[in-house]
Amino acid sequence: MNREADVVRSLVEMADTLVNDYDVVDLLTGLTDRCVSLLGVSAAGVMLASPAGTLGLVASSSEAMRLLELFELQAQEGPCLDAFRTGERVEHEILAAGSGRWPSFAAAALQAGFRSALALPLRLRDLTIGAMNLLSTTRTPMDEADIIVARAFADLAALSIIQHQAAAEAQRLNEQLSAALTSRVVIEQAKGIISERAGIQLDKAFSRLRVHARNNNLRLTDVAQAAIDGTLDPRAWVATQP
Amino acid sequence: MAQDRFHRILAELSAADGAWPAARLCAVCPRVLGVNGAGIMLMSGDIPRGSLGTTDEVSQLIEDLQYTLGEGPCVDAYQQDEVVAEPDLAKPVIRRWLAFTPPALRGGARAVFAFPLRIGTVRLGALDFYRDRPGPLSDEQHADALVVASVAARWVLEAQAGAPPGTVPEELEASADFHFVVHNAAGMVSVQQDISVTDALIRLRAYAFTHDRPLTEVAQDVVDRRLRLE
Repeated sequence: MNREADVVRSLVEMADTLVNDYDVVDLLTGLTDRCVSLLGVSAAGVMLASPAGTLGLVASSSEAMRLLELFELQAQEGPCLDAFRTGERVEHEILAAGSGRWPSFAAAALQAGFRSALALPLRLRDLTIGAMNLLSTTRTPMDEADIIVARAFADLAALSIIQHQAAAEAQRLNEQLSAALTSRVVIEQAKGIISERAGIQLDKAFSRLRVHARNNNLRLTDVAQAAIDGTLDPRAWVATQP
Repeated sequence: MAQDRFHRILAELSAADGAWPAARLCAVCPRVLGVNGAGIMLMSGDIPRGSLGTTDEVSQLIEDLQYTLGEGPCVDAYQQDEVVAEPDLAKPVIRRWLAFTPPALRGGARAVFAFPLRIGTVRLGALDFYRDRPGPLSDEQHADALVVASVAARWVLEAQAGAPPGTVPEELEASADFHFVVHNAAGMVSVQQDISVTDALIRLRAYAFTHDRPLTEVAQDVVDRRLRLE
């Protein structure tokens, strides 16, 4: 098997997600799977920060890894959390129950069959959006070359996620603008209808629509739509009390 | 290189006259892009919603024609999501815009170009330019135009981000012409002729087209009760 070609193919596949629509969980699950199949780690898992800044589990290469990461979040100690907090790589560490950097995490990891761990931040320039755990069932440190590939995976994943968030936000804002314009159009059309039916000026028609909406506890857009559909109570355009 | 271009255009923008960003965006186009005028058209649901700004009478006419007719460079750039170039309206490479082209030529536009306003896959409208003489944009001008279009798209979304949900941002309302009078008129015509508002809009457009007048002007006459469609 040609490992280099596999790595390049993986990078190209991930780069594709930058231009295509994709699912974040899918992308990150793919990332953990690739780390296991290409980089000689036993398990990988990714956590992402919520808008409030707390980490949540997003993807794991195995069930044992998922449980261990849940434990890490609960115990609030472990390699992923450190990588996220510092924004820096957490160096390879041989796990020893009850001692070292993460006494509780190490105990749980050993029980799940892991012997060593390292973690990488998911980072774009100064912004850290999450982190990735890489665990091994041996005590042998990962090859530096493998770590470089893992970093490239993590950086690409971070970039895609940030772009995805920006795109989703842009989509939301554009839909909001479009909806606001549509609702204005409906109201302007209704003003024309009421103005003609009641033989009054447009501004007067508008205030009658508003009064009717307020008195009947209806949304202005709904009243306007009813005027267009011809289902509006004719009393709405007759002069009434303010 | 791309970064330099971006900074240069931002510098032009901050130096340009015009109270509203949209007006400034259009105003820098003639000098930066070597064109005579520019306009920004906001679109959604495949139809022109309104003009965010124009630099002169010809660009105003180009926007009005597209709004009235529903065809033209901006409409194509938005719908096809790609740059549209017609370096010579009098001898077009592709015969399109059969209703748009004659009045645009008479009005003084000889070459027209439109760049989609978009961020990622989100499409907002298009930026258009015209020249009073035929000829294509240079590669440099083309690249600059992409930057201006991208700044314009970001500005629109930023304005929306600052607006309460459900409302049109004040900055847009103040600088844009959303042709609301056309919808007032459609409402009135629908009652006068006992037809749907959609059909009333079609009748107004048809009237404007056959009388060679801007839709907005026709609509204003209906609202002011100077005109009653038969």
